[in-house]
Amino acid sequence: MRRLLNISVLIFISLVSYAQGNVAVLKGKVIDSSDGYPLVGVSVIVTGTEYGITTDVDGFYELRIPQGECEVTFSYLGYDDEVRVYTGKNAQSFSRIVMSMNTEQLADVVVTGVYERKKESFTGASATFKTDELKAVGSANVLQSLKTLDPSFRMMENTRFGSNPNMMPDIEIRGKTSIAGLKEEYGTDPNQPLFILDGFETTLETIMNLNMNRVASVTILKDAASTAIYGSKASNGVVVIETKAPSRGRLRLSYKGDFGLSVADLTDYNLMNSREKLEFEALAGVYKDNSGDPFAQIRLDNLYNERLKEIERGVDTYWLSEPVRTGFTHKHNVYAEGGEDKIRYGIGLSYGEVAGVMKDSDRRTLEGNVDLIYRSGKFQFSNKLSINWLDVTNPVVSFAEYAYANPYYRKYNADGGVDRYLYYPQEGVDDYPVANPLWNAHLNNWDKASGMGFTNNFIFEWFVTEEFRFRAKFGLSRQDDDEQMRLSPLHTRFDDMGETEKGLYSHTQIDELSYEGDLAATFGKVVAQKHMINAVGGFNFSSGSREVYGYSANGFTDDRFDAPSFANGYPSGGSPDYSESLKRAASFYVNGGYVYDERYLMDFNYRLDGASMFGTGNRFRNTWSVGTGWNIHKEPFMSGDDFFSMLKLRGSVGNPGNQNFSAYQAFSTYKFNGWMTNVFGTGVILNALGNAGLAWQETVNYDIGADISFWGDRVNLTLDYYWKHTDPLLAVITTPGSMGVTSIAMNAGSQKTEGWEAVFRISPVYRPAEGINWNISINAVSSRSEYADIGDSFSALNESGKTSLAGTTRYYDGGSPTAIWAVRSAGIDPATGKELFIKKDGSYSFTYDVDDEVVVGDTQPRIEGLLGTMLYYKGLSLGCYFRYRWGGQVFNSSLFQKVENIGTQDVYNNHDKRALYDRWSENNREAYFKGISMVQKTEKSSRFVMDDNSIAGESFNLGYEFPDRIVRRMGMGAMNIQLIMTDVFRASTVRVERGIDYPFARSVTMSLGITF
Amino acid sequence: MRKILTYMTLCLMLSTSCDVWLDVKPYDKMSQDELLSEEEGFIKLLNGIYIELNSDMLYGGALSVEMLEVMGGAYIMGTDKSVWGNYIDLASYEYGTPYWRARLNETWNKAYSLILNCNLLLENLEKGGVRFTGDNYKIIKGEALALRAMLHFDMLRLFGPVFSRHPDQQAIPYYRKCSTLPNSRLTAREVAQEVTHDLLEARILLANDPIRTEGTMTDAPSDGSSVFMYYRNLRLNYYAVTALLARSSLYFGDMKSAYGYSVEVIRAAEEGVFPFVDRSLVTGSPDDPDRIFSSEVIFALSHSQRNRLFKNYFDPSRIPNYVFRMDNDLMSNRIFGGGTLTGGSQDDYRYRVNWVATGANRYFYKYADMVQTGNVCNTMIPMLRLGEMYLIAAESRSEDIGAGLVYVNRLRAKRGTGALQQLTRETLQYEYIRELYGEGQLFYMYKRMYSPIIFSVSENSNPQPDDAIFTVPVPDTETEN
Repeated sequence: MRRLLNISVLIFISLVSYAQGNVAVLKGKVIDSSDGYPLVGVSVIVTGTEYGITTDVDGFYELRIPQGECEVTFSYLGYDDEVRVYTGKNAQSFSRIVMSMNTEQLADVVVTGVYERKKESFTGASATFKTDELKAVGSANVLQSLKTLDPSFRMMENTRFGSNPNMMPDIEIRGKTSIAGLKEEYGTDPNQPLFILDGFETTLETIMNLNMNRVASVTILKDAASTAIYGSKASNGVVVIETKAPSRGRLRLSYKGDFGLSVADLTDYNLMNSREKLEFEALAGVYKDNSGDPFAQIRLDNLYNERLKEIERGVDTYWLSEPVRTGFTHKHNVYAEGGEDKIRYGIGLSYGEVAGVMKDSDRRTLEGNVDLIYRSGKFQFSNKLSINWLDVTNPVVSFAEYAYANPYYRKYNADGGVDRYLYYPQEGVDDYPVANPLWNAHLNNWDKASGMGFTNNFIFEWFVTEEFRFRAKFGLSRQDDDEQMRLSPLHTRFDDMGETEKGLYSHTQIDELSYEGDLAATFGKVVAQKHMINAVGGFNFSSGSREVYGYSANGFTDDRFDAPSFANGYPSGGSPDYSESLKRAASFYVNGGYVYDERYLMDFNYRLDGASMFGTGNRFRNTWSVGTGWNIHKEPFMSGDDFFSMLKLRGSVGNPGNQNFSAYQAFSTYKFNGWMTNVFGTGVILNALGNAGLAWQETVNYDIGADISFWGDRVNLTLDYYWKHTDPLLAVITTPGSMGVTSIAMNAGSQKTEGWEAVFRISPVYRPAEGINWNISINAVSSRSEYADIGDSFSALNESGKTSLAGTTRYYDGGSPTAIWAVRSAGIDPATGKELFIKKDGSYSFTYDVDDEVVVGDTQPRIEGLLGTMLYYKGLSLGCYFRYRWGGQVFNSSLFQKVENIGTQDVYNNHDKRALYDRWSENNREAYFKGISMVQKTEKSSRFVMDDNSIAGESFNLGYEFPDRIVRRMGMGAMNIQLIMTDVFRASTVRVERGIDYPFARSVTMSLGITF
Repeated sequence: MRKILTYMTLCLMLSTSCDVWLDVKPYDKMSQDELLSEEEGFIKLLNGIYIELNSDMLYGGALSVEMLEVMGGAYIMGTDKSVWGNYIDLASYEYGTPYWRARLNETWNKAYSLILNCNLLLENLEKGGVRFTGDNYKIIKGEALALRAMLHFDMLRLFGPVFSRHPDQQAIPYYRKCSTLPNSRLTAREVAQEVTHDLLEARILLANDPIRTEGTMTDAPSDGSSVFMYYRNLRLNYYAVTALLARSSLYFGDMKSAYGYSVEVIRAAEEGVFPFVDRSLVTGSPDDPDRIFSSEVIFALSHSQRNRLFKNYFDPSRIPNYVFRMDNDLMSNRIFGGGTLTGGSQDDYRYRVNWVATGANRYFYKYADMVQTGNVCNTMIPMLRLGEMYLIAAESRSEDIGAGLVYVNRLRAKRGTGALQQLTRETLQYEYIRELYGEGQLFYMYKRMYSPIIFSVSENSNPQPDDAIFTVPVPDTETEN
């Protein structure tokens, strides 16, 4: 600070001394090329000296310069430098300086949310995407598009909930850092990255709801050097999203609209038709009586014949078509912006309606936002306010119930009505009734949610000097959600209940409030031309609270009248739900960057975090990172060689942490006994034992990378190798009962991850002057993780996994979190039809022993990535993106549960065709699957583990930017139109049912953008 | 420069206030700091532990009338698996079935979770900083220590080895403080030392227990003022701790101490603290007697739905479901019959009050409610009673069991039965059965004496003493995690 003062004093003195000498005065005004508005704070410097000045609030400058020739440079962040030569005579040519925005330069800035750095001088691993790139590959939401653009950003495919628009995805950057599968226990996903929106921490839901047309850029921060500024929240990576800021000028109105259609992708379903199903049931022995009662056999024969007759009549019901529909999605965004240099404003309104591919599956969002920027001299105030409204409905009957329905039943009865049951056993027959999914679906049931929230982010900036800046931020966000569910009393679920207990209504209210404040000082200066120094230091505090209230009521007597006031009472023994959590954090942080001669780069970060979730014994934690880089292309020995426009090597190390844990795990809490009081009154007892010594989970993160561009920027290559070590892990561990609690949050063991990423882009045809450009991009990621030092901490999880029906995840030292554990299988013995297992020692056995489990595969592919190509021709653009996965395995649960393991109850559900074919029998001894049986239990074995190599058409798009002359004639400023198809096809080496409760969707969207 | 100083001061202030700001307390649950910041919190936590002792996995079922009594041979088992279910396995000591493994695990976990509660209470108590009225600090601490010792002692009696035979065998862990790391298992002898240590400390702390001067104080005020210091027989009072010492000393083979402690309680009882029931019990209102002999109970739990014990296990109207009752021959030839040879008599108050005939059988009514509702007697599950003290005194008076005859006869005199001529192990055991039936002590008695378990009159079919019967395996979760 003192040095800084000295320097400015020095400048001042030198300027004064010059003024006394023989000087000339240059006067003028600097304006923006696009709108003619004056630019404030442009630095005007005599090249090669320190003599300079900045333009005033009206864009005027007055520079005294020595007599004679000299060169004057005008520079302004985000604009091209303007260099004028003063010959001693041409002073009048300096009266009007026009500067234009440099889009390329903006693209090369890394935005971390706390500070900004030029990509060239940044040592971290990051990727930045502009709105056009995001919009080109998808229109659903920012995260869907990021998935297609950067392979290290993974959106985990949810085979259960498919493309349900109301399901929040699990997201990871560069793999997991925490024990998988404990999301439920924590309530928060411990592997989820941190989301920063306009400099403030936000939630996954907010990002999912954000209208893409508001987004200006998205930056993914991956390694320690780039994330450590977020300290103990950063170990899963950071996604920084900046929304558009209003631009200056006369009032401009823009409209952006997306219109999409989506259809369910049912190609993964391979269900039996009615004839096959009946044959399967007959083979399984459904129609064979075992009690020896002749009348029972007659009844079964009749049942079989009845069904056969129906099949002969042509009954082959395709149930899967019932719950699905063609979903129509439309989204609109209107934005008005304008203002002059002091005040800029933007007012936006967004509306989106997403109709999922299942009926009654809708998501509607409405968002209004007001952006204001006021700048006066050295001060700038900006405020972003957004108010959102959300309305959601979900189908009440899951897709799986339709997939279970047998094809030999008719959907409708003779009168065209819907029956309650597809099959109801005769009086006295010990058999299960089969409910009709259409019955429950046609009732007055609903499952809906609505929400309302607002976010207000205020930023004050004080440009103390050109180098020194002070910033204060405060953000406040509130979200109130309301979930309601109602089941009609006629729902088959209530069949066995008393009349006064039928029907159910439940209501949950979730209130969230969070705020964040930040004070920071930023310094940036080039000293003696060669030393570029950047520094940021600040203080941050944040608080987030969440309250959940809920209750349920029952006893509805009528299907139609569904208001809660018609309920008869509360479920017996029910009590109101309430839970609350409050998390607070406070941090100090420092970031510094030093660049010598644009060649040698160094970054460091330090952050001290305190968080309320951690025990008093361990409340504060230090995060640090160091990064270095070498711009080889700037070296003197490379000068003259214009081949490389960028050849940078970089490396970083740091220890970001993780705070995605439940709020009160460090506290011992108590509850009332509740179930009993005695003569002494009420009593309390321990509810949860806290662990005050709980240590933070931290991940030491190493990254080595290279950024290479050559052939006039037509070839770009980014390579990264990383190594992460999470130590200690934080997990909920099962303890011996004698400790008094059965589980406790503890630090146990560590996890190591190693991986690499490669992004390659080439433009074989690049003629910007003609507007022709063809890009090809190939990228790939690979990573491997393993546990270490966990010992027996997770033996209880391992045991429950061994006994569970299809659990294949285990926690052992050296094991991968994504490994598939099962007993090896040598296939079905042709002679006996029994499965032959391979024991641990390699010997063969017919007896299954769970202790013979070994790793038989890994769900994490060896290599995964995207192939993309983009062609621009004049205003026309065409792009294709394909995702490939190679070298992973999958435990085929369709085969495990819908081919074998079909028990006496499951046999009445429809199943995969393979349940009938390729089964072992006397006539088909070489079959892959066991013989058909209702009683045979199949154990988890490698027979169901299959290579999962796939290629999918993730995004195809076609766009057209209308030429100026046409647009002008139509009275508009700009217009573009785009057609995007997502998830067009998918080819995989394994056939497994995907989208169990909700199918996957294929969609096509037309996007339209108009600016007036 | 001044600006920088201002900023620095600001930062400093922020950092000190940070700690306060980060100190978040849950609202939907009681945090420990909040609860245990005043006396009332400790009283509630202590009471919470007493209440939880009533749970089905502990003395509200498994360790009083159900699991432990089945193991102690108290009940005749049916043969129909669909009626008697898992009890048939238990009566043949098959502890390894999934059902009983889970049940034993539940009991173990529950007992240790209450031990953890005791330890949390004690640790926070010892931290200080809370003002207690009168002697409450000592009373609360004494009772908590005694609870911790009692629970450990019962886990040792259940899961430990036969003490007289294998005192140095690995038994159970003893938790003296709250820990996030498991303690290793101690030998039976080490556990015995810990139990005795805790009980002795509790006895000292409870030296000023009002029960010594005021008696059991069951006449609590009903004006809403605190009843914390009333109903001393529903808490681990001074005499209960002494009685527990007598019981544990006998189990650990320390006869001298057992005799001393039991006689101390007997003396206090004779001075009127625990008066014996009298003849009016059977003559006055035979339809509604005080079936648990409440005045003689040194320590009982207070279970608000104790009636469930009767309804769930003993009520003859449960038929055709299982009903627990004594083998008819055993009852008529040994326990309440058989003349001077066995000491069994139908005049015995314990027979006349607690065994009621329905059809050809007699059923056990100790836990049936008295007619008067709201009577504290209807909530009591006896944990320690005066009669046991007489029997302990008899057993520990000398190496020769016969020398204890005088104590047995003093007890029998209060039960309306004649004196025994001589005392043998069998006749002493019959007396234990008469006195403590349905209270979860019989299995421990056979285990202590390493004697056959009396299921029936036929000696040959009664299970012979065996370590495999007496030593219940420690739950898997203990050894695996």
